This record gives sequence, C-alpha cells and structure tokens, in this order.
Amino acid sequence: MIWLGNVLVSPGEGGVYGERTLDGYRVWDPYRSKLAALYTLAGGVELTPGIRVLYLGAANGTTVSHVADYVETVYAVEFAPRPMQDLLEVARRRRNIVPIMADAGRPEEYAPFMEAVDLVYQDVAQPNQVEIAEKNLPFLKPGGHLILMLKTRSVDVRRDPAEVLAEARAGLERRLDVVDVRWLDPYHQDHAAIVCSRR
Amino acid sequence: MLQRYWFGDVDEEGCRAAGTDPAALAERAAGLRTGMDSFIPIDWEVARDCGVVRTREEYVDLLRSVCTALARKKIARSYQGRDVELLQMVRMLDELDNVINLLSERAAEWYQVTNPSFSRKYRSLPAKKMLAIIRKGARGGLSDVAEEIERLAGTRSRLMREVSARADEVMPNTSALIGGLVAARLLSKAGGLPALARMPGSTIQVLGSERALFSHLRGGTPPPKHGIIFQHRRVHNAPRPVRGRVARVLAAKLAIAARLDYYRGEAVPEFLKDAQERIDDAGVEA
Repeated sequence: MIWLGNVLVSPGEGGVYGERTLDGYRVWDPYRSKLAALYTLAGGVELTPGIRVLYLGAANGTTVSHVADYVETVYAVEFAPRPMQDLLEVARRRRNIVPIMADAGRPEEYAPFMEAVDLVYQDVAQPNQVEIAEKNLPFLKPGGHLILMLKTRSVDVRRDPAEVLAEARAGLERRLDVVDVRWLDPYHQDHAAIVCSRR
Repeated sequence: MLQRYWFGDVDEEGCRAAGTDPAALAERAAGLRTGMDSFIPIDWEVARDCGVVRTREEYVDLLRSVCTALARKKIARSYQGRDVELLQMVRMLDELDNVINLLSERAAEWYQVTNPSFSRKYRSLPAKKMLAIIRKGARGGLSDVAEEIERLAGTRSRLMREVSARADEVMPNTSALIGGLVAARLLSKAGGLPALARMPGSTIQVLGSERALFSHLRGGTPPPKHGIIFQHRRVHNAPRPVRGRVARVLAAKLAIAARLDYYRGEAVPEFLKDAQERIDDAGVEA
C-alpha cells in the first residue's frame, strides 16, 4: 500500500468521484471506504500489482477504482441497475475492471466469466453475508484471502453487533482460517472486517 | 468434464471457440449456467490456445466488452417497467412538497418583517391565499419569490394528477382500493412493483412508519398501526377504536391487489368488490 505520511493513496487517473489528489496520487478516504478504513487501522491484505481480485458488491465503483489502481484485474460484481450505470463508467476508463451485473448470491450466473482470484472482497448489504461468501469460495485460489466487510445491521438490526460478528466468524471458520477480525470504528459504525485465508 | 465459458466450450478433447464478436458472445453468455460443484475457474491461456485472443491484455479487453454489453442490456431491461418512472415521479412530487413548504414559510417570515401589521393569527389563511397577498403586497425580490412559489405549486398540482393517472394505469387494483397517489407512495417506499408484490400485508401496513416500528422492535414501545396507508381517508376517518383493524384489513387486501397488479396487470372487478365490502365492514364499530 502507498502512504504519503499517514494518508492512504492510490496511483491512477483521478476525478472518479471528486476525490482529493496529493502529489499526483488519489487520496483514499477511510471515512468513505471501508477497505481504506481497514488499511488505516493497520489490517487487511497487501494489494500488489500481480494479483486478481473478485469484488462483490461493487456499488458505484468508488472503492473498486482504488483497488484497480493497485492490482492486475478486478472482477466487479454489482446487482442493482442504478449503481451499475456508474460502475460501467468507471470501468470504461480503467481497463483492468471487468464489470459484471449479477447477484453475488448466485455465482452460477457469472462463473462462466471467472478465473481464479487471489482475493475476494465482499461488501454486500444482505442478511446472509456469510453464506454468500461461502458460495464464492470456488473462485478463490488456495492460500488466497477473503476480506468480508460484515454489516451487522444488515444481518439483524435487533441483535447486538458483537453477537452477530461472533456468529459470522464461527460460520466462516467452517471452511476458512480466520486471520484477523476487527471493528472499523471510528470510521464506520457497526461494521467489522473479517480477514480469512483459504486452506 | 465439459466447461462452458464465455469464450467457448472446453473439455478433455480440446476447445471450441465461440467467435470474437462481443455482441454474439454476450448473447451466448447470457444463457450460460454453471453448476458450482463441477466448476473449474478459467485459465486465460486456454482462451489463447483456443485462438480467441493472443495476449492477456486482449483477453481482459474482450471479456470487458462482453460483460459491459451484457450489463447494458440488463440495465435497459430493468428500466423498462412502467413502474420505474412512476417511482421517480412520486419521489419528485414529495420533494416538491417539501420545497414549497420551506419556501412559503420563509416568504411569510420575510413578509411579516416588511409589513408590521401582518399576522396569520385568527384568520384561516391557506398558503395559496397568503402567497397571493405577498405577491401583490410586497415589492422586488420577495414578490418575485412568491410568484415562483406559486408557479411551483402549479407544477406540483399537474404532476400530482400525472402521478395519479399513471398509478391507475400501472397498479389498477391497488389504486382502486386506496387512490392513485397513496398507491404510488406505497410503490415508492417499497422500491418498485415487484418488491411491493412480494410484501406481506403486515409490512405494507407499516410502510412509512419505520421509526415507530424499529423503536417497537428494539425497545418495546407500542407497535405502529399504520404507515403511509394512514393518508387514505378510510384509515384516518375511521373511529379510533377500529382504526387498527381497518388498517390491517386494508393492508391485507392491498397485498393481494399488488400481486394482481404485478402478475395480471389489469383491474379485477370481483376481487375489488369483495375487498371494498370487507374493508367497509372493518370500519363499523361493534
């Protein structure tokens, strides 16, 4: 990861969403992006130029654009039409983003486009986030990593976030090694990052 | 084991390429479904050996054009429904209401400063009349603003009629039970006709009262009896003791009506007659 002082940045063409630039680099704001928050909190998996990433829940392509600045190829999966329009525009200008309009919970729909990836990054607002992650494991190389941004409020607003996290962690441990778990406070409320590696 | 990929079919004997035209590839790929148990991730070098591309760069480029074409098609399809535009119309209408109220309040405050004898107390002065007074009585910027607000109010009324007419067309059964405008607001809150049609009556009943609902679920406050459907006269005119019952029965019938609208798309007179009677009965105090 590239740091200018203590500011996380990424190399690449700016102006994607009005982000600030610093010495020609694009500032990657931890308050806007959960992945940036994870790196700022000294967690996460190093993004290197050689790796391929599957990004589930790509939304408007804001975080996707930063990831694409670092890695070889990003497969960006998004389901909703409105953000997909924005994502297509981002992908038009960044030649290493493959935009896929599909439901992350139905990998059979986009499997015909997928190669094996080194990192699966998941940020979806669904109650069955762990199940979705499990379904996407066939795309992950052995030794590769999964970063799951757990939105505890999407799982169940009535339950204690810590309890939701414990349950998600137990679910993931069935098939993965959990490497790191942390809350994204103070950048994002009730969001936790779970980093796993595939056996 | 045969693997069907976007660029062609691959098995032990080799690979059959499906061409290099992005549009044709997109069409073919739209129909592909993979069993995840037998799925083997693509090795892009197979596509190269297959003769589809020469380099990794070409591979990603071609894949990108195929996926982009597919996504554009899917986006177009999802915007086709008549309900999608209605959604934007009703949201614009509600936004206009907000803006007009804000501007009128501010204009009244301003006018009061320029005209010390003016007060809204002890007179029923609807916003419309007040704006006319301000437009005539004030000078310069304030008068201009009042005129703009009046124009905006005219736009709002026309849009409201449009929303109502469109709702009658898109959701004839729901509109017949609760009126075009309220029906459209339900649609907007649900996020579309498909979503509304999949909702249970109990959810429709409290659409729009999320705050009360979640404070009930979290903290045990009394549950809300009605959300948006309160705007319909049958609910807000009902005597207090039976209001909850009316809301419940109405919402249950609305759930059926929304499904009829979504799956049949036309008014069903027999259903409407029964439903109207049933809802009217619910409003009678025992």
